[in-house]
Amino acid sequence: MTDKFCMVVSEGTFDKAMMPLIMGNTAASMGMEVHVFYTFFGLKLLKKGVKPKLPGMWRLFTGMMVKKMMKLKVPNYDEMMRQARELGVNFYACSTSMSLMGVKKSDLVEGTKVLGASKFLDLAADSKVTLFIG
Amino acid sequence: MEKDATLDAKGLMCPMPIVQLAKKMKELTSGQVLELVADDVGAREDVPAWCNRTGHQLVGQEEEGNVFRFYIKVK
Repeated sequence: MTDKFCMVVSEGTFDKAMMPLIMGNTAASMGMEVHVFYTFFGLKLLKKGVKPKLPGMWRLFTGMMVKKMMKLKVPNYDEMMRQARELGVNFYACSTSMSLMGVKKSDLVEGTKVLGASKFLDLAADSKVTLFIG
Repeated sequence: MEKDATLDAKGLMCPMPIVQLAKKMKELTSGQVLELVADDVGAREDVPAWCNRTGHQLVGQEEEGNVFRFYIKVK
């Protein structure tokens, strides 16, 4: 059976956006089945056309960080997201957070599934690795 | 070392060398050897771990300055 890897993302800042994608793309490349559950402020990372910013006052330096990453040839958020999809990473939106934040299914990037906590916990219970990104 | 293909991942940082390695390995057939060239310092530990996890065999590893060369046999 393929090893499962689950992550929960509860913040919507740039760092919290990139980490699960770096981990997820790597795990998928290692042959693992990857499940990422976005909840609370993390949910906005699944919205179409989102441009995540660094946390707090650092948000002013997001552009600088993005430029530096381009220079270092680290793929940007959209590119990482596209790659994750290509590698079969599963993205889930927390249904309660959607109601709480007024986010509709049509606001979310294609392929996102809407779940509650029990379906995610069902996946997590069978996982070799679970991480909380928050 | 003998090889059937080369993947140059120099200038790419984690996780890109591994992502590209996984893609490239799918193009090769069982028993073929891929040479991976990388200069991300994390690759030194990442590539053997990737091989261990995926079951492909790391048949050689060289280091020259900041450049790492890995020889991986497709399972």
